[in-house]
Amino acid sequence: MANESFSKGLPAVQGAPACIDVWRRRALRAGLVFSILAVILALVAEKLDQPALGWEHLLRGWLTGFVGCFGLCFGGMALLMVQHLSGGKWGLIVRRPLEAMTRTWPVVVLMWFPVALLGASYGKLYIWAKYYDDWASALKKGLITMDQAHAIHWKQPMLNVTDFYVVSLVCFAIFALYVTLLNRWSVKRDADPEPNVAYWRTKFENLSGFGVVLYAALLFILVIYWVMSLDPTWYSTIYGFQYLVGQPFMVLPLAILTLIGLSKTEPIKSTYRVIEQHDMGKLCFALVMLNIYFAFGAFLIIWSGNSPEEIPWYLDRIRGGWGVIATLDVIFHWLIPFSLLLSRDLKRINMRLSVVCSVMIFAGFWDLFWLIEPNFKDAARNLHFSWGILEYIAAPGALFCFWLVYYFAQLKRRPLIATNDPHLAEILEHDYAHA
Amino acid sequence: MPLPEGLYGLMAEFESPTQLVRAAKAAHGAGYRRMDCYTPYPVEEAAEAIGFHRDEVSLVTLIGGLLGLAAMFGLEAWISVWAFPLNIAGRPYYSWPAFVVPAYEWTILWSGLSAAFGMLALCGLPKLYHPVFNAPNFRNGATTDKFFLCLESTDPKFEAGETRSFLEGQAPISVVEVEY
Repeated sequence: MANESFSKGLPAVQGAPACIDVWRRRALRAGLVFSILAVILALVAEKLDQPALGWEHLLRGWLTGFVGCFGLCFGGMALLMVQHLSGGKWGLIVRRPLEAMTRTWPVVVLMWFPVALLGASYGKLYIWAKYYDDWASALKKGLITMDQAHAIHWKQPMLNVTDFYVVSLVCFAIFALYVTLLNRWSVKRDADPEPNVAYWRTKFENLSGFGVVLYAALLFILVIYWVMSLDPTWYSTIYGFQYLVGQPFMVLPLAILTLIGLSKTEPIKSTYRVIEQHDMGKLCFALVMLNIYFAFGAFLIIWSGNSPEEIPWYLDRIRGGWGVIATLDVIFHWLIPFSLLLSRDLKRINMRLSVVCSVMIFAGFWDLFWLIEPNFKDAARNLHFSWGILEYIAAPGALFCFWLVYYFAQLKRRPLIATNDPHLAEILEHDYAHA
Repeated sequence: MPLPEGLYGLMAEFESPTQLVRAAKAAHGAGYRRMDCYTPYPVEEAAEAIGFHRDEVSLVTLIGGLLGLAAMFGLEAWISVWAFPLNIAGRPYYSWPAFVVPAYEWTILWSGLSAAFGMLALCGLPKLYHPVFNAPNFRNGATTDKFFLCLESTDPKFEAGETRSFLEGQAPISVVEVEY
């Protein structure tokens, strides 16, 4: 009826436009600049810093970048599964960008190897990895404190190098299987001569329903190994949740930025409407609230408990100048996106929403810096300038840019619109406002 | 105050929201300003089409929320620091982390209430009488499946004959006169 006359029709070209190649070249160039910077900084830090921790700082920065890229890749997988479960027009629009993010997993696994090899096998990052088989003599020599020795000994069944490898690789294998299935079925779904909507929807729902639960459980374990165990004396049961929310906190803004960037040309020009952008802005707002809820909740519980086993973790991150970083973390993570996303207009204006999205991605890395650096003895309760600390800009910058290169390459490999979906007709209509 | 008499406006009935939005846009383009759209469910584009600019509900909500925040945070600080200071496990009297949750709840509560009551007040509700209900087709369809555009006679551009022919040019189902 009347609505059909307003449909723009499926654009003739559904592949990615040429601008993706430009983005990819730019990301590659930026990645190279950051890499060179990272190496120079490490050399300078080895020369000038007291103590000389240039290469160790590079590794810490690498860990930050790796955890960030891991979040973008597999957080993308989690959001993709959520989208299959929840349905909705926003889901149809972000599906292809999210699928492209998930297909970057080989790069993420590559990024993991230096962390495993240098960080765990050689014990350059994880203090438990260095001393778990001989904690007693390390304690005697004063290399670790009594608390650390106790924790390392007690947690040895979980925190040992073999388990670190086995658990990480098994998780990667499971995730890779999910990524493969999600992507393969998606192509088959579009190639299906009949729509078979109910069949495909059920198939994806069955995979995703169990998938999100499994992902959450495995993510909890992985972040314990990769990040939380940097300080083996501390634990928090909400830690995994913070990552579970922190990942879509970066993934969704990146998907929005991708779509806004692509919306200038076909095929996304025909399908990207203000209505769905507004919806995704609202979802970002929800993520901002959920994120601060977990982060502040964890803080409030530990602050109220005031127990000597827990509170030092926060003191390490608040005292000695770290309070500035923590306050800025709240500002970047919550205050700025919260106050800006309150506005209805802002969510509907491309340029302004992109600014908020960029702030959110930046905040994700800022938060990782705050979580990771104070774990180390030279930095805990003592924020000070060293050339090495600048690695937190250079190394994650390089990894993120190289990840983007791969992401854009993956984005280009598939049509940007998933066609076999009942929502398609709707997103091809004009916004009523332009009727 | 004497009751107004005579023609309140001309009301056109449409089959679909899209037609309504089109007609409303055309009316706005033709220079009509005093008009209103009536739809069975919210059609935001219709509000946009008749040049309905920013409403003040968001401002009222913001003010309400900030007042709630200040009220509860102030109350907590006042109780804990001056009125009834308690030593709770050696923590400082001014323990702001503990104040955040109630202060946040009051922000939400006050902004919610301000939004609801502010909206009602700014809509001019409760209103006991409105002339459009004098049109029988309005009474029958306005809350189910019909879409109406009413051009009001107080508009300087309103001229019964001309306005009627303008509305009829918008392919409505019908155009009726609405009396006060």
